[in-house]
Amino acid sequence: MDPILYNKIISVGVYGSAIGLILIGLYAVLVKKHLTKIVIGLSIIDSGVHLLFIAVGFIKGGTAPIFSEKGIELVNQGTAMVDPVPQALVLTAIVIGFGVTAVALSLVIRLYRHHHTARIDHIKSLKW
Amino acid sequence: MKRAFILLLLVVVGWVLADTFSQINFGESRMGDIKQQETVGAYYLNNTVEKLSVANVVTAIVVNYRGFDTLGEVTVLFLAASGLASILYRRKKRGEHDVMILKNSSQLLQTGAKLIFPAILVLGAYVFIHGHLTPGGGFQGGAIIASGFLLMFMAYKDYHVSHNVLTWVESIAGILFVSVGIWGLISGATFLENILGTGTLNDLVSGGIIPLIYIAVGFKVAAELTGVLETLLNFKTEK
Amino acid sequence: MVISPVHYIALPLLAAFLMPLLAKVNRELVRIIPGVVLTYLLFVSVVLMQRVTETGQPIIETLAGWQAPWGINLVFSQFTGFLVSLMVFMATLIWIFSYRFKKVDNEPALKYYILFMMLVTGSVGVVLTGDIFNMFVFMEITAIASYSLTSFYRDRDGAEAGFKYLLIGSLASTFMLLAILLLYTQVGTLNMAMIAERMHTVPVGMKVTILILFLTGLGIEAEMFPLNGWAPDAYSQAPSPVGATFAALVVKAGVYSLIRVIFTLFDIQGAYQYLIIMGIITLIIAEFAAMKQTNLKRMLAYSSIGQMGFVLIAFGIGTKEAVFGALFLMFNHAIIKSLLFMSGSFFVYNSTSKDINGMSGIGKKFPYMGFLFSIGAFAIVGLPPFSGFWSKLYILIAAADESMLALVAIILLVSIVEIVYYFRVVAKLYFGKPTDKEVVHKPTFGGYFSMTVLAVVILLVGFYPDIITGFIHRAADTLLDKGAYISNVLSMGH
Repeated sequence: MDPILYNKIISVGVYGSAIGLILIGLYAVLVKKHLTKIVIGLSIIDSGVHLLFIAVGFIKGGTAPIFSEKGIELVNQGTAMVDPVPQALVLTAIVIGFGVTAVALSLVIRLYRHHHTARIDHIKSLKW
Repeated sequence: MKRAFILLLLVVVGWVLADTFSQINFGESRMGDIKQQETVGAYYLNNTVEKLSVANVVTAIVVNYRGFDTLGEVTVLFLAASGLASILYRRKKRGEHDVMILKNSSQLLQTGAKLIFPAILVLGAYVFIHGHLTPGGGFQGGAIIASGFLLMFMAYKDYHVSHNVLTWVESIAGILFVSVGIWGLISGATFLENILGTGTLNDLVSGGIIPLIYIAVGFKVAAELTGVLETLLNFKTEK
Repeated sequence: MVISPVHYIALPLLAAFLMPLLAKVNRELVRIIPGVVLTYLLFVSVVLMQRVTETGQPIIETLAGWQAPWGINLVFSQFTGFLVSLMVFMATLIWIFSYRFKKVDNEPALKYYILFMMLVTGSVGVVLTGDIFNMFVFMEITAIASYSLTSFYRDRDGAEAGFKYLLIGSLASTFMLLAILLLYTQVGTLNMAMIAERMHTVPVGMKVTILILFLTGLGIEAEMFPLNGWAPDAYSQAPSPVGATFAALVVKAGVYSLIRVIFTLFDIQGAYQYLIIMGIITLIIAEFAAMKQTNLKRMLAYSSIGQMGFVLIAFGIGTKEAVFGALFLMFNHAIIKSLLFMSGSFFVYNSTSKDINGMSGIGKKFPYMGFLFSIGAFAIVGLPPFSGFWSKLYILIAAADESMLALVAIILLVSIVEIVYYFRVVAKLYFGKPTDKEVVHKPTFGGYFSMTVLAVVILLVGFYPDIITGFIHRAADTLLDKGAYISNVLSMGH
């Protein structure tokens, strides 16, 4: 196959699926009425963004940025290593996403305790 | 009407994102010439082995170059655990006790959990001890260990982890992390600076303070995730 | 060990990790430790401000031994130093105010003090850091502490306000993350000085996309319209000291990050006009919404949003005088709004409802508290001789200098609205018929102390603005001197 075309298909696939995840999550947050589903939507958005991070750091034909004996050998043969910075950033972002999800779920539990329902259209003490 | 508006919004967001990322070629190197070091990525790839003797560059970034971020990250987890406990806190009435899962799980799960649980703990410990040599590290190892506890929670309905122990582990691990940082400050260098000898590449004991911090992080993450799971499972509806 | 900016982060974190253990030793330690840490940080602020003022050079601290673009650094300049000192000062007073908070129940008290201290650390970290991703991390620390504190009380509205805040906040952080990612692909660094230096190489279309993502993400913490839907609920449901903390620290951190991104990172002229327009919309909508409120804390929250709109307008004008006015207004807003929240919460506590009507005549029962609230109300609408007058005056002069007369007219018009709704409350306090409710909760000694200090500061700055203007002038100069920021941070590496 033509390498340029191949490259294009891969990039559309990678970016497309990441952006698709963001849109699916956004849809869930905006449309769904169940609080747990909204939290799931937030997590899906996060996953999409994290995928974008990894995709942007990737270099064609690159190997993992680890200088093990095998890694050093590959580098000496001229293999590139992928950009390590986005990978480090995404680790931080995942942990933060976990923290936010945990707090969100606890709030859902609290709301369920008070209202005996987790549907957003039944919980309207404050203005939304 | 509202749905049409939302769809329109999604189309706009999707189009803007697609348009923006179409300008960023997938698989292209943006680090520039590795020897020129115009970007941080190139600098890290070029200097980590020589200056830190750490094989895993991502670990070097997470724990040393951007160690301050990781301190913040650990704080986020700590905060999430504290926030969770504060949000779900209820004073227990006399005679009330926690029911975690109402039904006993199947024999298969119980026996399997008992069998796998120690192996999961060992794997988790392996991952965070070797964080500077192989893929993985404190966060990953901690998460693996917590998944082992999750398995136990699911298998045995009255399996409890003492909150007291979790508090001690996470506090001591957190104090260790900050103290390593302050140690650098006291010894005249900067906060979190790698003040120990770095050893030889690909040795288990190498990289100075990096494995030390990652082990502390591993314990802290494991304790916090387990604590979060325990608090969330403790939820009991008022009848 | 030399005193350096990293103390602002390291010591509160150490204390926070220690506190669960110390709570087992003695319950009282949980309350004392945050105060000890904050008092020490106040001392650090004095020392560092003195050093910065003497040398005229910012203190750039490298972390983990890696120089500017390679590692993370902290920048304590006359601008960030001013904001940080203000934040620490306010946090100390709020700690004194809330010393007896939750005194019957030990477990929530521990969580409260940990979360409060992290709220302070997060806000201070946002201001101090010189690295864009690190700023995101501190932003999230602040945010998670805020969500938890908003739903701290065990009533049902608390959880709802918290969830609402969390929903908007986590979307904001997604936007900011995307912005940082795009920025990294374009310039290959995360250090803010380096980004500013390389910004001219970024294509214009990309630059605008990144800026819009940043403005959406950061606008939420800065209470910019239309992203401020969380604020009134969060302010009214959170415990009162936390409401004061939001007004005095969290919003300031949000505005700071917005200003840092627009003034230092980007060089797009349109951003300034955008600030003015969004500021005007925020100001008008918030002030009119405030007039409609019957709940005192919601009214204060809307007033807070309006003031932030005012700050954004002043930053948007962008001249040195305007920036000076904006910083002065941020200072005033921190002290005045905290006083209003503290004294207002006391009225809410002593009346049957959170309504303004429920407080009628309460000023006669508690003359001193009524007096303090009135000082706050007069100061925030900008009456002479209170401190609020000067900041409003300087912003008006700056707007007039740029011959933005429509802007001057709008500001004056909105001020009338502000006067109407604040005076309505003050009139209610003094001239309303007292309700015959007999419950009397006197504020604690700490409460009296911190409110009195705030009132004294308001009057002192009102009569002698010179004691503070010197600092603010130098802060404004430092903010506007982008070249010096870049060269100071990057020269460390060469």
